[in-house]
Amino acid sequence: MTMPAALQRDDANDQAAKAGRRKLISRWFYLLCIAIAMLSVLVLAVLLISISVQGGSRLSVDLLTNAHSELHPEQAGMWPAIVGTLFVCGVCALVALPLGVGTAVFLEEFKPRRPELRVLRRWIPLGQRRWDGVCTGLYKAMRGLHGFVQLNISNLAGVPSIVYGLLGLSVFVYMFNVFGQITVNESAGLELAGVRHYYQVLTLQRGEVVLIPQQDLQQATITVTEPVEAMLPSGERVTLSLWKPGTEKPTEPELRRRTVREGATGGRYSQKDWYYFRLPLGRSFLAAGLTLALVILPVVIIASQEALRGVPPSMREASLGLGATTWQTTRNVCLPAALPGILTGSILSMGRAIGEAAPILVVLGAAIAKNSGPQHLMDDAVTMPVLIYNWAGRQQQVYQELAAAAIIVLLVILLLVNSLAIYLRQRLRQT
Amino acid sequence: MNIYRTRTALCIAMLSLLLGGCDSSSTPGEATSPASGESSLTGEIKINGSSTVLPIANAVKEQFDAEFPNVDITVGGAGTGNGFNEFAEKTIDISDASRPIKPGEVAACREGGVAFVELPIAYDGLTLVVHPDNDWVEQLTIDQLKQIFVAGGGVDKWSDVDPSWPDREIKIFAPGVGSGTYDYFHEVLAKEDKRQLREDMTLNEDDNVLVQGVAGNKDSIGFFGVAYYEENQDKLRPVPVVNPELNEAIVPNKETIASGQYAPFSRPLFIYVNAESLNKAQVQTFVEYFLEKAPETAERVGYVRLPEPVLSRAIENFEAVKTGTHFVDAQGNSRSGSVTEIFTEDNLVSS
Repeated sequence: MTMPAALQRDDANDQAAKAGRRKLISRWFYLLCIAIAMLSVLVLAVLLISISVQGGSRLSVDLLTNAHSELHPEQAGMWPAIVGTLFVCGVCALVALPLGVGTAVFLEEFKPRRPELRVLRRWIPLGQRRWDGVCTGLYKAMRGLHGFVQLNISNLAGVPSIVYGLLGLSVFVYMFNVFGQITVNESAGLELAGVRHYYQVLTLQRGEVVLIPQQDLQQATITVTEPVEAMLPSGERVTLSLWKPGTEKPTEPELRRRTVREGATGGRYSQKDWYYFRLPLGRSFLAAGLTLALVILPVVIIASQEALRGVPPSMREASLGLGATTWQTTRNVCLPAALPGILTGSILSMGRAIGEAAPILVVLGAAIAKNSGPQHLMDDAVTMPVLIYNWAGRQQQVYQELAAAAIIVLLVILLLVNSLAIYLRQRLRQT
Repeated sequence: MNIYRTRTALCIAMLSLLLGGCDSSSTPGEATSPASGESSLTGEIKINGSSTVLPIANAVKEQFDAEFPNVDITVGGAGTGNGFNEFAEKTIDISDASRPIKPGEVAACREGGVAFVELPIAYDGLTLVVHPDNDWVEQLTIDQLKQIFVAGGGVDKWSDVDPSWPDREIKIFAPGVGSGTYDYFHEVLAKEDKRQLREDMTLNEDDNVLVQGVAGNKDSIGFFGVAYYEENQDKLRPVPVVNPELNEAIVPNKETIASGQYAPFSRPLFIYVNAESLNKAQVQTFVEYFLEKAPETAERVGYVRLPEPVLSRAIENFEAVKTGTHFVDAQGNSRSGSVTEIFTEDNLVSS
């Protein structure tokens, strides 16, 4: 008697062979996965090694403390760029994170429900069925609004950053010229705080100036024809003495410091406090930060939404069931539970903001020869990606090496910011 | 308790970035109380324009900074044309230019109420370069260049220019259309005939890319500023250009550019200063400093100093604040010729 075919297949040897093959495939698949995962590590390693080889020799204290130099490239540094990047990204974080998390909370926690409108029902007699209709209509409108916002955010996440740069240029830098255009001599826009206007006039002492308070803001220049009240750079108030061309010049430095040639002209000078604020924002780090905030906002929103969606519904329901309002539930239950996820999204988006060059180039321009970080709110800034872009495009070998070294510094700063956030996330998880 | 701690931690995370940096900016007294011996000159200067002039402007700024550390100078390199746009809108004090101002730009300045002082500061030579292994091109005439670079010249291969040259396609690398270098080249070769440069060239604003392009292809030709050639002497070979007046092939170098022999491909570089801005002590001091340092600085960053008469006339014009241009006549036509010929008292048309 022969064995039926169906039973033959269940032969123990046969089965063992099949199992062996399946396990083999499984093992190969495992190896494949490892190889793919290693690929990204490999790319990173190649990047790091090639950059370190190129720029390692330029990593020095000078690089961290000096400013860009055209004449002494071997001493060029990136301190203003580091400070500039931190300022721009700081503004970006302060604006994008609250707005982003807020929008996510609106979209996830305040989902439209069918409204009750009990109070209105009592006052306006419409009948039960009509009221049902009104409530359903309201509900649909709310849902439509939610869907509309959601759709917009998904679309915005895919918009190239250079487009945001152009948006930022017209919205923040020029503000559609609503407040007038900022010009070098006539108009400084709508100045709101932190500025004192003077005319700056050269004295007979080389390199020394006096400041004459500006009375009429429309008058851009002054011609000194009579002894007027003025302020020395030290803050001391004096009456200027005049020197007529042709007569003997005073020789004593102290006197020369407060003597002005008769007929000397002075242009407008605005002394700005750190909180100097005007509209439009002009090419300032504030405008750049706000533009970057637009770039990363959709990413922050989507990441925060995912995190909020990950909070188990049971927790939310328990809180609501205990009588907590939606706001209380959000504040005390959902946000703390979603915080690690929100932070992860924020870290990723801040990483993008730090490395972004295109919108900054549009908003701030490509000027890199700045010696310090921003001095007041309306000051411009150099950022690291723009500096690297400029250095990498130059002919001299020195700048190529500097660019590589600057990339290392950028990566290190990125890692520092990220690890700070990761540390915070770990601590939050533990509590 | 946990929640409060959580919130505090979050706040610290957000604020640490800004607060950490802010203290460096909250020192308003710094600008007004200089250390002893340091100049008290202060204020802002905004400069934009040619990327060719940028290295000189940045180098002068750097020296100026050492002496007058409280003056805040922003130097951009958006291109000559963009620079003049901003100049006419009064958003910058000084416009860097790698060519003389054009009639349209003079009109825009007049319309915007901008009077300016025109100051030549250095020479730049356009260098035509080929691959070092190119052993057939020994010199080029203006007519040959027109054949190669002007649209409709009917030349695709080297052999079309000269039958004894190889029967291979010419690869052309040129600076982007926004650059003053392109404008200048166009003006020399194609403007008189009312033609355009050909469109099938590889254009790039980044001169580095052009160097790589020409160095990487035996059949290529390209052009850019002499400074870039000097940085890459080992990778490229400059082509002598026949001076139409002398009828002699001239190699571009400092001597031939300064003497005007290397014509028509040496060009002057300018700064245009808003006359009203010259009332500002910082701008006045800076421009004076610029003119004083220009010859030496230009040479340091790879350009050529101007002849002494031109330079002293520039200083004269600056001191007397003589506004207007020498390069556009009263009828609104551009003048062409060398700086030495044009930059004279008689040609000044005030704005």
